[in-house]
Amino acid sequence: MTVFRKHLTDNRRGFLGWALAITAVAVMYSSLWPVLGDNAGLTNAINGFPAAMRDAFHLDDYGTAPGYFGSSVFGLVVPVLVAVFAIAAGTRAVAGDEEAGTLDLVMAHPVGRVRLAVSRLLAVVAAVAGTGLVLLLAELAIRVPARFSSISVLNLTAICVQLVLFGVCFAAMAFGIGAGTGRRLHAIVGGAYLALASYLCDSFLPQIKGLGWLQSLSPFDWYLGGEPLRHGFQWFHCALLVGTALCFAGAGIWGFSRRDLGQGG
Amino acid sequence: MVEPAVEAAGLVKRYGNARTGRTALSGLDLTVDRGEVFGFLGPNGAGKTTTIRLLLDLIRPTSGTLRVLGADPRDAVATRGRIGYLAGDFRIDGRQTGREALTYLGDLRGGVPAARIGELAERLDLDLGRRISTLSKGNRQKVGVVQAFMHRPELLVLDEPTSGLDPFLQQRFVELVREAGADGQTVFMSSHVMSEVQQTCHRVGIIREGRLVTVADVDALRSQARRKVEIVFAGSVDPAAFEALPQLQNVTVEQTAGGSVLHALLAGSPDGLVKAAARYQVTSLLAEEPELEEIFFTFYERGDQK
Repeated sequence: MTVFRKHLTDNRRGFLGWALAITAVAVMYSSLWPVLGDNAGLTNAINGFPAAMRDAFHLDDYGTAPGYFGSSVFGLVVPVLVAVFAIAAGTRAVAGDEEAGTLDLVMAHPVGRVRLAVSRLLAVVAAVAGTGLVLLLAELAIRVPARFSSISVLNLTAICVQLVLFGVCFAAMAFGIGAGTGRRLHAIVGGAYLALASYLCDSFLPQIKGLGWLQSLSPFDWYLGGEPLRHGFQWFHCALLVGTALCFAGAGIWGFSRRDLGQGG
Repeated sequence: MVEPAVEAAGLVKRYGNARTGRTALSGLDLTVDRGEVFGFLGPNGAGKTTTIRLLLDLIRPTSGTLRVLGADPRDAVATRGRIGYLAGDFRIDGRQTGREALTYLGDLRGGVPAARIGELAERLDLDLGRRISTLSKGNRQKVGVVQAFMHRPELLVLDEPTSGLDPFLQQRFVELVREAGADGQTVFMSSHVMSEVQQTCHRVGIIREGRLVTVADVDALRSQARRKVEIVFAGSVDPAAFEALPQLQNVTVEQTAGGSVLHALLAGSPDGLVKAAARYQVTSLLAEEPELEEIFFTFYERGDQK
């Protein structure tokens, strides 16, 4: 608990900054809905795009609130920002601290390796969850004034929860790679590649004939593919996100508990 | 019977894989008794920091056995609670004040009274209210000194602890180590500062190329060490009377305007020299404190000769 709390207070500025920035972007997009959503011209234009392109950019159904929110607000910019935030926070939790040479001091104290790693990971999870909560509250606050009350409170909650789990999944990837190897760069690059690969698997690669199955392996699909804005919680997808996170985190913590710590540069 | 504070047997540490790896320790045998202040000396790269990081379970030995305070350090969380550790390049997150950092580190140990932290900070003249990132290297090191000593650990593991401290603070540090020794705490300290070692340590171990070369008692070393003597006489003296003394070496006698000056190296008892000099009129006598440094240098360079 001490390590958990300390990690949150040490990083409070960064965590708060990310939460507010992500929420601000989402609110900005949401408030454009009354302008763009009822715009027949725009809808027609988008309908004129090739189907493959509409699929890739989640541009279906731009004329309805769940369609617009699924493609614009929650479709690309917000999840990408959440993934970047999550990867940065996951990297910092162990590998960043270790390369800065500041992990030695804490590990020379009566703190077990597993306890340290789990506490730090939970702090990152709390930060991502906090971001999701701020975002949800902001969306709920503008839901009526920005005229998207056709999306139910439950479904807005569902997309935010799945967004949090999506972020936790990438945080755990970067955390696991960083904890297992002790290398900051491996964690960042590994996390970024995995994020890019899952985006491609969800958007462009399935357009290639015979590669459609790739989509079901992508955390992007587990986050958005079941259209939580329309159909609410997708429990199986949630389980996949959590399970993937647990695999990466578990492997990373196992490696961390066995290896030599670096002294930092 | 109480087990030694540190006991290593055949300790080997290799870094990296078999092909590109590097052997930092190649069979270290070492025993540090409870209550002892033990100096751990050796040239850079000899394996001092590796040994210290092994004691704290920051790294794991390739082979050999190691026991710290009676237990294998591997995953021994409780053992680390009884140790205080300070690295020469003490590094800590700068986004907090000294007080926040020390309170947190104390909490990891189950709580250290704020009064104790304040008392140590005052002795070292450390401002706890400032953010660590705004502190100088020396002031940052003071935070490290406080966190190592604040919980009065049974075993202090200090890795070149005074690097970056000014002479005044080095002296304060020496006092802290001596107090710890007087309280029965064990101190295991690597250092390059010989004066600090001479003032604090009971025994020293010298490590070279990953092996312990010798362990010596500091008082015994000092009594064996040769000291420089200089005697100024009012008149001229007969060099042969001094050259005949078995305890004296390198005897030279210079004639000066007012008389003569004798320079020599004295090993062992000064009795013969004093009696020989008493036959003349002595105007000044100087005997230097023996320099352990010179002895250590011979071990650093020719470590295999015991």
